[in-house]
Amino acid sequence: NSARYSYDAICKSFQALRSRVSSESLVFTLCNSSVLLWPNKGLQSTAEHLTEGTPCRDIQQYREAEDGGSKKSKRKDKRDAGPSVVNLKLLWEVTESGESRALSLCRVAKQQHSARMPLCVDCVFSASGQDSVCSGLVGALCGQLSDMEEVVLKYRKGSSLLLPQPFHFQLPESSGLVTVIYPAGVPDSQLLTVREELHGKYGLPSDRPYFRRANAFHFPDEAYKDGYLRNPHTRLTAPNVEEAKVSVVRGVYSYHHYMQDRVDDNGWGCAYRSLQTICSWFQQQGYTDRAVPTHTEIQQALVDVGDKEPRFVGSRQWIGSIEVQAVLNQLLGVTSKILFVSRGSELASKGRELANHFETVGTPIMIGGGVLAHTILGVAWSESSGDIRFLILDPHYTGGEDLQIITEKGWCGWKGPEFWDQNAYYNLCLPQTPKTI
Amino acid sequence: MGRGYTVEESVEKYLTSLSAAAGSCKTGLLIGQCSAQKDFVVLAVKTPHRESEGASDSRRVLGPLDDIDADWVAEHARQVSRMLPGGVNVLGLFLITPPELSKEAQNKLKGLIFAVDKCISKSRLWDLSEDDVTDRVTLHICSKTRKAICKTYDVKDPKCSAKPADWKYLSCISSSWPVLTCSVKVDLQIPVTESSSEKCMKHGLGRWAKQIEAGLCLINGRPASDDSELLSGSKKSTKMSQQALQVQILVTEEDPVQRCSAVVQASSGSVHVRGTVHCRAYIHTNKPRTRHAAQAIKRDVVNTVSNRVEMLLEDLQMNEGGPASEQQDLPRRVFAPLPGSGLTVCDYMFPDETAADVAERLKEMLDWESAEEDIDTSVESPADEGRDDGAAQDVPIESMTEPVKQQKTSQYYAGVAVAAAVALLATATSLLYLNE
Repeated sequence: NSARYSYDAICKSFQALRSRVSSESLVFTLCNSSVLLWPNKGLQSTAEHLTEGTPCRDIQQYREAEDGGSKKSKRKDKRDAGPSVVNLKLLWEVTESGESRALSLCRVAKQQHSARMPLCVDCVFSASGQDSVCSGLVGALCGQLSDMEEVVLKYRKGSSLLLPQPFHFQLPESSGLVTVIYPAGVPDSQLLTVREELHGKYGLPSDRPYFRRANAFHFPDEAYKDGYLRNPHTRLTAPNVEEAKVSVVRGVYSYHHYMQDRVDDNGWGCAYRSLQTICSWFQQQGYTDRAVPTHTEIQQALVDVGDKEPRFVGSRQWIGSIEVQAVLNQLLGVTSKILFVSRGSELASKGRELANHFETVGTPIMIGGGVLAHTILGVAWSESSGDIRFLILDPHYTGGEDLQIITEKGWCGWKGPEFWDQNAYYNLCLPQTPKTI
Repeated sequence: MGRGYTVEESVEKYLTSLSAAAGSCKTGLLIGQCSAQKDFVVLAVKTPHRESEGASDSRRVLGPLDDIDADWVAEHARQVSRMLPGGVNVLGLFLITPPELSKEAQNKLKGLIFAVDKCISKSRLWDLSEDDVTDRVTLHICSKTRKAICKTYDVKDPKCSAKPADWKYLSCISSSWPVLTCSVKVDLQIPVTESSSEKCMKHGLGRWAKQIEAGLCLINGRPASDDSELLSGSKKSTKMSQQALQVQILVTEEDPVQRCSAVVQASSGSVHVRGTVHCRAYIHTNKPRTRHAAQAIKRDVVNTVSNRVEMLLEDLQMNEGGPASEQQDLPRRVFAPLPGSGLTVCDYMFPDETAADVAERLKEMLDWESAEEDIDTSVESPADEGRDDGAAQDVPIESMTEPVKQQKTSQYYAGVAVAAAVALLATATSLLYLNE
């Protein structure tokens, strides 16, 4: 019986919220500006020239310049010629004009449960530059509230109500974002059927994740809280190879290198850092919830599989591709292919194989040989001329997370075949992706 | 370097006439507005005579000073402060004594000042900010010589000693003080448990008060959060007519605690407070800042609701409660002009009362005769007969939207200029290669 009551009460509350959102007391504030908009009041606003017909792109001018001057942002804009993001926040106006109601106090004496649930509404609305400001935003908000209502009802257990949390996903072949509401506290592993439905609905293959929480779209104006750089290679210009096909890693990875996390691994930790970069890729593509392992955790994993003696933990011993393969398997359940070349000069002929890996699997590759370990993020290879370049992420960098230095000084950069020690032998670890969603 | 109090001339007349009626000691309140630079006193009100004043028992020989009941003075102060609009407060006390008691008068005043402050701040739902002046003024007047000594005490510090202060009279101080007004919609649902319903109410109201306090305030459409001047551009002239400023308050519902599930509590009932309240605040004309004006009106919003709820609950307690589940009208706010100033004071009229009752209360509390016609009852609407569904809900659930972020992507059409289009294509292609 109480289940029926809670169902009714929840529906009623959400209905009340939807009408509140459609009421005149809803106000949008444009972040980084003092502009306020009343979308349900004929777009009344505190900015002078903003009316119902104003196109979206004009709203940009009301945003105060962020750090630096407009010159700096202009240069950035030319590179990031993508969609631009405008952030709005929701406010409620509690003052009103017009008819008022006498203040009354109503007491209900009845044994009951009261629930208080904050709903973090996070709505994305895609508009073309020409669409008028706020057209459809309120509708999108109401839509999200309805989706949240569904989730709250579906996952309620007795008097326990889980909070609905929105996640935005960018699907291939589409420029818009899809928003999915997940119940807080329920891990991805228990939401498999939801994802299967979504894959079916959007016609996506079932061999790789698109809808895990880690796959959520990262907005360009948001900083990453952990401080690691993401995908520094996107800042590079393409290598100058005639008729070359460029194949690079898919998705997002973090750049791990010497001296990070207050660990002084200068001189011995390069393979560990490359492994961390690979683990960060698997975590951010949604294949694992596990955080990127520390040097100690990596060493402990090798002891656990019997590959090393216990005194290995805490030491400064190098590891190679075989160890990387073992750790990936032990900690992430990921299998890897090992590629061996007896001489560095042979790498120049591995263009097709590497390109194929990036095209079909797309994971970063760890390469160890000579006395060094690196990460290969892509190849530019010409089938006709055989000319080849390797996109290298170098873990030997000891500086801070300065994207400009890292790209300009080649710590992340395109290298020719002469980069390798022509006489040393190399092992490459090519991690494979599990076929799951 | 003490504080300086600028006082309405009408206050001087009032105090003089009080002193003239010689006899035992008299206490009363001093009412006005404090600011960082200057303080203004606009009204003085004597403490009403206590009917059930204990007959002077002959078992103890008490001086007339001891007859002054601090609790009674403080209670009067508390009730008067409910009648004051935003920005106007009880600033201190006056004490009139015959010359022989002048020496002990200061001590008595100090005790009274602290008692009054404690009583007034007991039921306050908002916290004092750094800006708030915590000095309270005491005025001791000798009934024979009419000499007045003005000192201040800092109520933050019980061990403080009196500081001298200036007291000077001026006419028409507040006649052109701008008035800020707004009508605020209230819709609160507070779960209560049988054992601690008052505590739950206070907690629920307190949470709402914090929302209001943290809200964005617009005065005549402009945000009032910074240090800008409220009356910029207007020339200061004593004959300036009073400006009326329209206020809007916008709130967010932020919940800083990260949780996975809703907070569910068992309760034995709930209290639902709904309706619209009219709020008013005054601000002095000595270069006031917008944020002080915003603070004054926000505090009035919180005060008027909490005062009314308090009054209703006091009333119910006195009348042995009422039926368990029902809807009751909270008293309606009415205003009356303060003679000789630009200000109004307010009172709360229960549904079964009339303007005559209000006038009687004004006489008792504020010691002045007001004409019934002057009492403005039109500001808030009376309770209407038709009640909509305020009645019991089975399982009331309160949910609020907490907007963390809302984002919008807009796509630019490249068709701005042909030349530009080519450049854009080139950038787009290289990005394509590098991304995936």
